[in-house]
Amino acid sequence: MEKSDMQIIRLLLVDDEDDFRTTLANRLTRRNLDVTDAGSGEEAIEIIGQKSFDVAIVDIKMPGMDGIETLRRIRKIDPLLEVILLTGHASVEAGIEGIKSGAYDYVIKPCNVNDLMVKVEDAFRRRMIEKGRAQENRECSKS
Amino acid sequence: MFKKLKLFNWGKSQKESSAGENLPDLFRFKYSCFKMLLDSNAEFLNVMTDLEEKLLGQQVFGMSYVRSRSAKAVFHALRMIKNLDDLSGHCYSPLFDILEKINLKIKEILGRKKEISISELILPYSAINAEMTDWVGGKNANLGEIHSRIGLPIPCGFAITTRAFESFLLNSALFDEISSKKMNIDPDNPGTIKTISDDIRQLIISADVPAEIEDAILLAYSKLAGDTSSGKIPDSSLRISMRSSAVGEDSELSFAGQYLSRLNVPQEHIIRTYKEVVASLYTPRAIAYRLNKGIRDEDIAMSVACLQMVESVVSGVMYSKNPLNMLEENIIITAVWGLGPYAVEGVITPDSYTVGKNGQTISSDISRKTVQLISKPDGGLTEIPVADALWDKPCLSADNIAVLAGYARKLEEHYGCPQDIEWAIDSSGKIFILQSRSLRADDSGKSYPVLPVLTGYPLLIEKGVTVSGGVGFGPAFHVSSDEDLLNFPDGAVLIARHSSPKLVMVMKKTRAIVTDMGNIAGHMATLAREFAVPTIVSTNVATSVIHEGMEVTVDAYSGRVYQGKVPELEAYQITGEFPMKDTPVYSVLREVSDRIVPLYLLDPRSPDFAPTFCSTLHDICRLVHEFSYTEMFKLSDLVSDKRGLAFKLKGFIPLDLYVIDLGSGLTEKNLNLNSISPDKIASVPFKALLKGLLNKDFQQNQCRPVEFKGFLSVMREQMITPPSAAERFGDRSYAIISDKYLNFSSRVGYHYSIVDSYCSRTVNMNYITFSFKGGAADDVRRNRRVRTIARILQSLDFATDVTGDRVSARYQKHEIHLIEDKLDIIGRLLQFTRQMDMLMTK
Repeated sequence: MEKSDMQIIRLLLVDDEDDFRTTLANRLTRRNLDVTDAGSGEEAIEIIGQKSFDVAIVDIKMPGMDGIETLRRIRKIDPLLEVILLTGHASVEAGIEGIKSGAYDYVIKPCNVNDLMVKVEDAFRRRMIEKGRAQENRECSKS
Repeated sequence: MFKKLKLFNWGKSQKESSAGENLPDLFRFKYSCFKMLLDSNAEFLNVMTDLEEKLLGQQVFGMSYVRSRSAKAVFHALRMIKNLDDLSGHCYSPLFDILEKINLKIKEILGRKKEISISELILPYSAINAEMTDWVGGKNANLGEIHSRIGLPIPCGFAITTRAFESFLLNSALFDEISSKKMNIDPDNPGTIKTISDDIRQLIISADVPAEIEDAILLAYSKLAGDTSSGKIPDSSLRISMRSSAVGEDSELSFAGQYLSRLNVPQEHIIRTYKEVVASLYTPRAIAYRLNKGIRDEDIAMSVACLQMVESVVSGVMYSKNPLNMLEENIIITAVWGLGPYAVEGVITPDSYTVGKNGQTISSDISRKTVQLISKPDGGLTEIPVADALWDKPCLSADNIAVLAGYARKLEEHYGCPQDIEWAIDSSGKIFILQSRSLRADDSGKSYPVLPVLTGYPLLIEKGVTVSGGVGFGPAFHVSSDEDLLNFPDGAVLIARHSSPKLVMVMKKTRAIVTDMGNIAGHMATLAREFAVPTIVSTNVATSVIHEGMEVTVDAYSGRVYQGKVPELEAYQITGEFPMKDTPVYSVLREVSDRIVPLYLLDPRSPDFAPTFCSTLHDICRLVHEFSYTEMFKLSDLVSDKRGLAFKLKGFIPLDLYVIDLGSGLTEKNLNLNSISPDKIASVPFKALLKGLLNKDFQQNQCRPVEFKGFLSVMREQMITPPSAAERFGDRSYAIISDKYLNFSSRVGYHYSIVDSYCSRTVNMNYITFSFKGGAADDVRRNRRVRTIARILQSLDFATDVTGDRVSARYQKHEIHLIEDKLDIIGRLLQFTRQMDMLMTK
């Protein structure tokens, strides 16, 4: 599936900190991602209604709809949209809730763009595979 | 919190090269799941090591530590399961439920809380007795008991109950904020305690008290003013004292002077003062005290005693027995002019009277009292000079002493144990009891050794007043500000002008305390006895004769201080160890750890090695780790081109070693074999490791010297003869390789080691990380071995770190041949430790 590398990943970046979000969006765009950004969970949900994405990066700590709630709603709308959580000093409890609610993984803020890119690519790969699995609906082999 | 372990630094740029350029997406996906799984596995092992170390009971930690570590353990176990489930195409979903069950148990253990079963916000003392400590705190409960059951005089007043506290603090958003702030406290760093304390207190002071509580308090105040005024109109100029009355003051512990009390509070400051008293739960010293005593913050609550202000002419403290000699039937009374704080805070040295049970004074020690505290007209207190004529006069008359002694007898009789009593006498000569609690004795019944004056050492202080016995040695450190407390060095002797309960912040660090002023009945004295710190007060000269940094030996049994070390006294030294064991926080840690640390699934070949048999997080992680390799081995079936990826390494080594090739790790491509021989390995780091692992010198019955001298000398010194090489080694080992990369992991029972290395022409990218976990932390032998390994690695120029039974080491940015040499030696080391493992597990 060499194609995946050619395919442009459509990414939604959700964070309430304007400076952080704009800087990160620029840097990810420079790495050939198709980036859309949202300043709140509410805005993110609205955008997802209009356009489809492969991967979302969501800050856990946001005023109004927090990251976990945003994650839950995103997964409800598109169960195959992979969500990477950004955590600052949020509690591990939030991390537990995040994974339970279907997050792909987490990245610690402030984060290295290289690390983040690796995660985004991995998450995208997961989306492709889960898509394939959903299509085939294949029985998994018991160990 | 989510700090990634350096151990699995799967770097930025090497991931592409190590994973190979042309591997199918499915494989890459599985490999990234596998990496995350291993990453969490390492984090989980770290948390476990940390818990095991805390379980030894020698370090101080609080409930937020227990909470954050358990959450971290759950998180990483969950992340492991998730990645195994993804990796396998969702074959392991039942594990989620098993984890959730364990998580719920952990949460239940952490969440246990005392129920407050009272609905009143305010209670009058006539309605309070000693059984009501959970509702009104210890001080209030005793005041109620003294008033309503013993019938001794206390000032009029009321109690603000813990129900009020609960609705103000516990059940508000405030408490969550406080809890999250507390997470950042590092018990070993008083600086963090100070900063976080300031933040929390600011939060509480600036919060609004619910109107319902405010109304109830002010109504009670009006009633009190009405009751005490002579006319019909309530006297709004009535001042009250507001004293902390905390719940959780376990009868074993004193909490002496830890929380705030405010005297002379006018009506308009009552609500603010209420918040200040509540906030005093979070002063640095209160936080430090609870940490050191292992008290759960969930178990504390603040009630407040609101008493009509007694404008005392004389006040003081009374012990119904001598705390330093409980066998003596004497009462000790200390007294100062003016208000009480100066009697307990160590600012001036009070009069001291020794009184027989019959009320006759046996001896008295009248001190010079030049200042006193009085109420200011607009609220608050102020210090004024004592009239010259009263400086050297006794504060108490024979009549006063007889009445006080009578009260002391009654209180001791009623409670059935010696009492520590605060009292005050107003201008009309009426005596009030302000507080009574059990007297904390210095190992009652045990008498102090009588030590002679030792000649040959400069005697700095000949006679001070002993408040807590013992001998301590160390460099002197002068404390005159809070700043000094923050910088207090471990093992020093604390020298201060006044005694103060604030010193509790460093009582774990200090070897002894010597002050100029202070007295046997002060708050600090109670704390010093509780923390077993040798303490002398009232020396008058300590701060002037003992210089900063001077080494001194404090003989607190006899009240003497010598310059330098006095070997004759060493046998009497108090070690100052402070085990957390038997504290409430410790027992919660114990219970929680029982759900996390033990490993019951030992044998992967056993039919019990299955999800349903997992009863701890460790079981889950062990199982997931094992299955993750199984799933990685299935890869070859799933990859479309059917290219062989995993092999069993065959040959002469007594090792069940499986190899997964990520790309270019083998000399030949498209091998249609199930097993390969070592000479087919092309991976540079793996070849180097195998060289050591297969080194014949180490497969013999004895060690023969090889190139590295230090390595062997340590080996010879520490280890016993290895078993014969024919012994079968433990579980499966795995090597994941590419041309430049190696991840090697092996396990024998409880012991576990991982080598991760990248080895290329680019020096800056090269590294080896090695970690070894040796077994339960309380096993001395295993710990010794871990330290031995650490020493070997250190001598090999690795940066090493030992925590409990785990050693992690790192060697990076070196030339390719150096990396190869080190891997060779690690290979030999592994071979040797595996043999040791076999021997020890037998």
